Amino acid sequence: MAIKFPSVDFFQELARRMAADPAGFEKLGFCDTVMGVKVEGDSSHLYALTFDVFECSDVRELASPGDAELDFTLEAPLELWREMFESIKKTGHPEPAYSLNSLSHVGDRMRVVYDEPEGHDAFYRFMATIQAFVDQSAELEIEWA
Amino acid sequence: MSYYGSTDYSYNSDFNLRIQDIKKGSLDFGWLDDARDTVEVRRRDPRRGLTLEDVEVGDYAIENTPEVVRDNRGLAPRGAILTEGSVQPDLGPTLNKKTDVWGYRVQRYWEEAMSRQWNVTTDVPWQDMDKHEIPDDIEYAFCQLCTLLSEVEMIATDLPSKWSHHMNSHFQEVKGFIATQCIDEARHAEVFRKRALANGVGLLRASVRGEHALKGILEADSYSEGSVFLHVLGEGFILTLFRSSEFISPTPVEQRMFQLVMQDEARHVSYGLQHLKYLMDNCPEVRPQINGFLDEAERHLTGLFNPDQLESMIVLGGKGTTPECIKKGIEVVGAFQGKQIAEYFHRAERAGLPERKERSPLLELQRRMLGAVQAA
Repeated sequence: MAIKFPSVDFFQELARRMAADPAGFEKLGFCDTVMGVKVEGDSSHLYALTFDVFECSDVRELASPGDAELDFTLEAPLELWREMFESIKKTGHPEPAYSLNSLSHVGDRMRVVYDEPEGHDAFYRFMATIQAFVDQSAELEIEWA
Repeated sequence: MSYYGSTDYSYNSDFNLRIQDIKKGSLDFGWLDDARDTVEVRRRDPRRGLTLEDVEVGDYAIENTPEVVRDNRGLAPRGAILTEGSVQPDLGPTLNKKTDVWGYRVQRYWEEAMSRQWNVTTDVPWQDMDKHEIPDDIEYAFCQLCTLLSEVEMIATDLPSKWSHHMNSHFQEVKGFIATQCIDEARHAEVFRKRALANGVGLLRASVRGEHALKGILEADSYSEGSVFLHVLGEGFILTLFRSSEFISPTPVEQRMFQLVMQDEARHVSYGLQHLKYLMDNCPEVRPQINGFLDEAERHLTGLFNPDQLESMIVLGGKGTTPECIKKGIEVVGAFQGKQIAEYFHRAERAGLPERKERSPLLELQRRMLGAVQAA
């Protein structure tokens, strides 16, 4: 069954799959951060994903960034998120240009928004876990909003 | 042998008689005389096991340690009972004040480091290297980059090693964290060496300018100076370089490699930032000293912008050596160098040194580089 993107259900499904793969995520180590995902489009959506030890323990849609203490937020238009997930779909991993780091580095196609440098650095400290989390989407059938 | 103890226990008759008594079963349990009340340790989150924060209780907690440790200059861990009337050997720690080494959240960084260790031999998909064809000019440029990064990682291993035994054993968490940094950096030197050799090109030219810059880190006069140079300035710049290197990686193999090294590097930057912040919050009188040191450290750091590294990054960024590729590479490298400098100033500001932006020679360097790009 297709899952709509963007939606709370989409991220909850990734969280459920993360919990179902303890060996894979325990190997990557503790991951403790609250990450924002902003999908920009005709109607923008902002989600807070709480990573806690080896799980994504909470997924919420926020009315505004101040509704949660976000370490950092990844912001990009819907079309870019779609390109990224379609790239992941091909092999289970993104092509080099579509890794989260590549997208958010030079050119700032995806923006990393943060207040505190330590929150910003959390994105890099937990990069392998966060990338593995989104890579799980390869197995999902996605219905684009 | 340069240390001869004040007692030769092998010929000490009291000691030998006591050992003989014990072996005959005559135990006096004197080591229990000073035992304190038991402490209550609670595992706050079973998924994490037993963490350092879980055992921060009573006399064992860093909060209950005096700002300056005067009564222990040996190896006794924080909370151990020192025998009355006996003198522990003085191992000569020079970092006995909490502000000399401590950083907010250091216990968590140590736990995070332990749980996020990885293995160069098995966690990088070396077996996939044969699936990808890399043009010669890209491979050579990548191996030049690996050469510089290997040199950088050597100093990042040596700096924490150099200072660890100068730290009072009460600050076990910091000693433990920088021990994890040593193994992280040794692993980075390993991965860059292996990658340079994996396709047969091998290591290329070592950097004279780069090594002069790195020597400045090792020669810092205090741990805090060394830490702010290595962790905040140097590793902050290298973290952005790793991000860029992932961005311009020729294949998914190198991309994975940089994802893994970037995690470690970011953790070291976070500790450095929290040490600098702790220092500025609790010992603001060292601010002129740190600023004076950074004035020089930032000049040293420009040595890492050496021509060999710059050219190899431009070739990688533009994915080739044609004029069009080089033009694109210059743009890519210019963009990430701008990020390196901007992120450093932001970290310095949040740690309590907003004046870096006014004092630093880095902005002038950036202006000169941008001017050169525009003039071309």
